[in-house]
Amino acid sequence: MRPGDLIRQSSFRLALMLTLFIITILLLAGGVGFGLMHAQLSGRQDARVMEMFRSLQQAMTAGDQRDLVEAVTSRIAASPDLASIYRLEDQSGQVLATNIPGLDPPKGWSTVPADLAGVTTNYPYRVFTGTSGAYTVSVGLTDADLDDLRELMAGALGWFALVALIAALGIGVVLATRMNQRLAVVDRVMNRVAHGDLAARLALSGRGDDLDNIATMINGALARLEGVVEAMRQVSADIAHDLRTPLNRLRIRIEVAATKAEAGQPIADDLVAALTETDQINETFSALLRIAQIEAGSRRSKFVTLELAGILRNVAEVYGEVAEDAGQVLTLGPLEAGWISGDVELLTQMFANLIENAIRHCPAGAAITCGLVETSGQVRFTIADTGPGIPEAERENVWRRLYRLEKSRTSPGSGLGLSLVRAVADLHQATLTLRDTDAANRIGLTVEIAFPVHPLA
Amino acid sequence: MRILMIEDDATAAGYAAKGLSECGHVCDVLADGTDGLFQATRENYDVVVVDRMLPGLDGLSMVRALRAAGIKTPVLFLTAVGGIDDRVEGLEAGGDDYLTKPFAFAELLARLNALARRPPVQVVKTVLVVADLELDLMARVARRGGQIIDLLPKEFTLLEVLMRNEGRVVTRTMLLERVWDFHFDPKTSVVETHVSRLRAKIDKPFDQALLHTVKSAGYSLHAPR
Repeated sequence: MRPGDLIRQSSFRLALMLTLFIITILLLAGGVGFGLMHAQLSGRQDARVMEMFRSLQQAMTAGDQRDLVEAVTSRIAASPDLASIYRLEDQSGQVLATNIPGLDPPKGWSTVPADLAGVTTNYPYRVFTGTSGAYTVSVGLTDADLDDLRELMAGALGWFALVALIAALGIGVVLATRMNQRLAVVDRVMNRVAHGDLAARLALSGRGDDLDNIATMINGALARLEGVVEAMRQVSADIAHDLRTPLNRLRIRIEVAATKAEAGQPIADDLVAALTETDQINETFSALLRIAQIEAGSRRSKFVTLELAGILRNVAEVYGEVAEDAGQVLTLGPLEAGWISGDVELLTQMFANLIENAIRHCPAGAAITCGLVETSGQVRFTIADTGPGIPEAERENVWRRLYRLEKSRTSPGSGLGLSLVRAVADLHQATLTLRDTDAANRIGLTVEIAFPVHPLA
Repeated sequence: MRILMIEDDATAAGYAAKGLSECGHVCDVLADGTDGLFQATRENYDVVVVDRMLPGLDGLSMVRALRAAGIKTPVLFLTAVGGIDDRVEGLEAGGDDYLTKPFAFAELLARLNALARRPPVQVVKTVLVVADLELDLMARVARRGGQIIDLLPKEFTLLEVLMRNEGRVVTRTMLLERVWDFHFDPKTSVVETHVSRLRAKIDKPFDQALLHTVKSAGYSLHAPR
């Protein structure tokens, strides 16, 4: 990883920003703490200076000038390292005693720098100058302790900031590298997907962190994508198979007709047959297109609140006589309202497809019953017939596009009716189940579609 | 009638135009949406046939512009993408009917006839009469030769659609759309079944048949010719 890349890493930048933030906070806190401590210590020092001044004042009150000079001189002698400084002046301006010759502070509190005081220490002095009778007395104490504290604080904070910065840089680099490694995995996987390997999936770290969440979402999206692409592949293959067969038949018919025409024979019948063949191809194609459109899901935005019973009653009314003509009986069983959110046109076609499917696959004499029952948040539509049914092994396959049971391959039909039923059911988030109508005797087929009931119903 | 066809597929347009002139109609063909809009605003046509996908200006925008200009000529949309939403879109844009490609010529002709003869202002008719067959829309009663015929609700609607189009061919698809509101092609003989039931009630007991099957086109209800 190049340094330029590092600074672009969000984790690295975050670590750096956090450190700068922490350092700023600490410097602020240190500054405030230092200020408080400094104020406290200076207060105490000033108190000591004042105490020293008062004791000299007392010496003056107790005796005379000689006592005062003596007291000052003895104190000067007691501080050979110049830790405390003194100056005594009489009213004529004559300096009677001092240990700092150039010292001449103003009245009241003052801070005298060490070099001004003529002393070669590094520390300034805190000085109080007041009058005692006819005399002016200055008393000062070195600021060494406070100054040490200042240096100590500055040093400590400076070191701390440096260490924190280095640590943050280190942590930032480590975090960025680790993040980079995990992202590199995502990068590799997405690259594989981009090159057509739709089965590639991201490995989860198992920590359940944000990256894992994103990985889970990406995996979900990839799974759906794979499903869609697989379905498309399936359809292309099915189209190749199921549309080429009739296209081939059509071609042969036209060829035959052309030959006949050359020989001067009538070809009207061949042309009618070719037309029928064309219609069949067209119908298959439209059905595929329609299913694809339904599966795209855009119809969902046009959903309305509707009553399934009304739609079912309408469709059953249309097909009642069709079934009768086929020698079958179509009846409506229990019919509860069934309020759901859906698309009237698609649901009408779905019911029609299921009823037509039953009519076409059942022999004369069969009974077909439709019903609508509401149970615990679901609206269950069932259509049960007493026809040949579907073998258990085949039940998953019948939903596939263009799939037809071997025995029904010769009867008319595109093999798309149930695929459309499934597409419509999926669009309405309904679940589909196939079972025997009479499980014990393996008779008939029952299709059940369970819709989620409309929340306001 | 005068028909304006705006279709960029020259073969299909030529074939349709030829068929329409053989039936005694005048058909102008244009291949561009902008030209079509200009022509439709300038001349007075009985019906306009518009392809959804056109060079220049697409069919939907063309019809919207036509309606915005206050021209109420009936419009039939043609499309290769027989989408579910496309039909609604076309009707919302101001189209009057819709036909998906590929189509049979008979279907196009039947729909054009139905469109063009639709009166601009719907005259409210409460009783439809064809020969001795009477349909009272207010009382919901059908009579033939004064004799009351018992009809189911959908049979009544079916007869109403046929009688409103007296003498014209109504195709199977048109019946599915107008009577049952089915916008798909059923795999069973829904229309045939219901027409035959209706025929058994209105024609069978009487001497003369009024409901005729037009081969490979649809049905037509008219007095004996």
